[in-house]
Amino acid sequence: MSQLLPFPPRLPLGEGFEALNTWLKTHFGGVFDTVGAVIDWSVTTLRDFLTDPQAAQLTALAALVLAAALVRARPVPVLTVVGTATALYVAQAAFALGNTLVNHAPPHLFLWAMHLFGQDSVDANLVIGIVALAALAAVAAVHRVRLPLVGAVTGGWLAAILCGWLLFDAVPGVIAQPTATLTMLLLTALAWAVAGWRLGVFSLVALTVVISIEQWDNAMATLALVLVASLIAVLVALPLGVLAAYSTVVSRVLKPVLDLMQTMPAFVYLIPAIFFFSLGAVPGVVATVVFAMPPGVRLTELGIRQIDREIVEAGEAFGAPPLKILTGIQLPLALSTVMAGVNQVIMLGLSMVVIAGMVGAGGLGNQVYQGISRNDGALGFEGGIAVVILAIFLDRLTAAVARRAPQARTATA
Amino acid sequence: MPAVRANHLYKVFGKRASQAVTLLSDGRHRDTIKDLDVTAAVIDVSFEVQPGEIFVVMGLSGSGKSTLIRMLNGLLPPTSGTVEIDGTDITALSRRALRALRGEKISMVFQHFALFPHRSVLENAAYGLEVRGVARAERRERAAHALDLVGLGDWKDHLPQQLSGGMQQRVGLARALTADTDIILMDEAFSALDPLIRRDMQTQLIQLQAELGKTIVFITHDLNEAMRLGDRICVLRDGRVVQIGTPEEILNHPADDYVARFTEDVDRSRVLTAASVMEPAAGADAADWERVEPDAPVAELFQRVASCDGPLAVVDEQDRVLGAVSPTAILSALAAPEDAVPAPAGGERREEARR
Ligand SMILES: Nc1ncnc2c1ncn2[C@@H]1O[C@H](COP(=O)(O)OP(=O)(O)O)[C@@H](O)[C@H]1O
Ligand SMILES: [Mg+2]
Repeated sequence: MSQLLPFPPRLPLGEGFEALNTWLKTHFGGVFDTVGAVIDWSVTTLRDFLTDPQAAQLTALAALVLAAALVRARPVPVLTVVGTATALYVAQAAFALGNTLVNHAPPHLFLWAMHLFGQDSVDANLVIGIVALAALAAVAAVHRVRLPLVGAVTGGWLAAILCGWLLFDAVPGVIAQPTATLTMLLLTALAWAVAGWRLGVFSLVALTVVISIEQWDNAMATLALVLVASLIAVLVALPLGVLAAYSTVVSRVLKPVLDLMQTMPAFVYLIPAIFFFSLGAVPGVVATVVFAMPPGVRLTELGIRQIDREIVEAGEAFGAPPLKILTGIQLPLALSTVMAGVNQVIMLGLSMVVIAGMVGAGGLGNQVYQGISRNDGALGFEGGIAVVILAIFLDRLTAAVARRAPQARTATA
Repeated sequence: MPAVRANHLYKVFGKRASQAVTLLSDGRHRDTIKDLDVTAAVIDVSFEVQPGEIFVVMGLSGSGKSTLIRMLNGLLPPTSGTVEIDGTDITALSRRALRALRGEKISMVFQHFALFPHRSVLENAAYGLEVRGVARAERRERAAHALDLVGLGDWKDHLPQQLSGGMQQRVGLARALTADTDIILMDEAFSALDPLIRRDMQTQLIQLQAELGKTIVFITHDLNEAMRLGDRICVLRDGRVVQIGTPEEILNHPADDYVARFTEDVDRSRVLTAASVMEPAAGADAADWERVEPDAPVAELFQRVASCDGPLAVVDEQDRVLGAVSPTAILSALAAPEDAVPAPAGGERREEARR
């Protein structure tokens, strides 16, 4: 009798998981390295932009916003400008072509810019950006499309540049952290424009608090991490949600997987994340993506499924192909629900940052984690408060975007 | 060649659909195959719609009207049977060819309007042309023209939610008109509207039809509406065709009790025309009688027949006398015909209508 196996026998579940990971890493190590490098680059770039925005980056951003706003109305000129600017940026990055051009241009053309930005040489990237921005604004002006938006963006860009000049050159020394203040003002303006004056005022006050407790750079590192993680999560969740909305089978298969992803203690993700991506921001981002993605999938599916059947039928009845129905009818009408999902993704992402701090992801999570390990209550509290402020800011901002999206839940019968 | 031809169409929802079709084609009622766990929505429906005709499908809720109309443009594939559009069997087409055919030949107006809430009225109206790849300027111009036609020229840049129900359905109509297809399918297009607005829309549809000569398949649960709009009416009951005929045929020769009970609620004076109630006027001296056209509804004759001494003369375009309309003729025509079986009891009828 004693030879009988005990029941139930020990199931090597954990070992299997480990073996799978090892197998994946040995066979697809290159893929993980590439993904890791891309994530790392994105987080670093975004963090650098948020902690120390350059005029050239701001200009490129403004041009990008204009291009996105205008591309549907006037695709040919807009795409020409964007293509030319991109080519010039690449040429500048690769062969410093822009510098050559700028140095051969008549000097007084750029003296004003040098003066304005207090530099002793002209930034070719800035020049490319300004030319692209001006070209796009001209396209809009000539064709009289979306003039209010174009005015707001170019005006905002000018204001930001002027603001930078004021902070750095006009009143040097008065503002303790001019770069932080500049970003803070930009974020405040964004909040004001998207969600109204209440959030604008809140941002102004609350983000100033973050600066004054000297957590700004950490907060921006966390913001960069959360934004990159949320972007990846949404990019994965959106197609999955669409598939689940189209196919009941996919929906049924996904449901338990999503449940598992969401309820598994978040710490558990860190172990394989470190195994694949070693320490740093990348495993933090990956663990955050896994943990934060499920509501994105669920709400995308819900958003598409709840669209009035007749409206989709109307698209079909006029002969629209499936892709046009998806992009022209279903996604726009699901947008408010999808945005509610994005909002949840971001909130869950923020709730992961402290845990991500444990694996060296940096930012506020690191501060809190240090507070714990050094028994430093003040540090922990300040880090925590900054997380809360970021959370409120992001929550209200995305909620406002969701509110603006068109509603499609008309009466069904 | 008929514009639309339905050929022994069946639509059965459920796993054992083809088995159900076999049983149903033997004449079984759809309630007797409940144990197959299927829903037989449309059973053995055949009809032809001629170009330029308004063909109305009438039936109570759940009688399979929406399912039927969705098979006509291929939104639903039939379980059995074929649909021909201008002689093309659309059930044999590939998805791509079917989409192309819809874009070119058939557009649709929906019960709850089904406008795209994120597009302006003009963009809604232009949708069909957009799908077909017509250039932006041209499609906007044509959509604007259709909106003018339905009287919404000043609302182009509004969003659908900013419009009243009647106006929204006009946008739905303009969207179908802009697509410029010969055939328009209308699924209870006016049912969600208030009675007065519904009447306006019916009038407008009749006028548009007179101008544009579209082929219209119109669905309704309201026999009055069917009588008002239809050149011919197809009455559906529990998925099967009970009768197909002109409004007068349905009114005067209902195929069975079921149709007869429906016709009781119809305002006969609006369906019957001078020609259908007139008596022979052979030999009578009709020279100084008042003249009426043959297709004048009886409702418009009351006043005139009451205010003159003799009968009214029904005359054709050459002023030839076709017959005479007297007060007695009108009264006897308004009474339900003898062969139309009266309803047993009011209570039972109402119950039927609710079901
Ligand atoms: N997709 C479907 N799956 C199952 N049953 C359906 C489906 N669509 C309609 N039915 C059923 O078919 C019958 C006819 O429906 P419908 O064509 O919508 O009727 P009507 O438009 O005349 O009210 C109803 O019993 C309905 O429940
Ligand atoms: Mg219906």
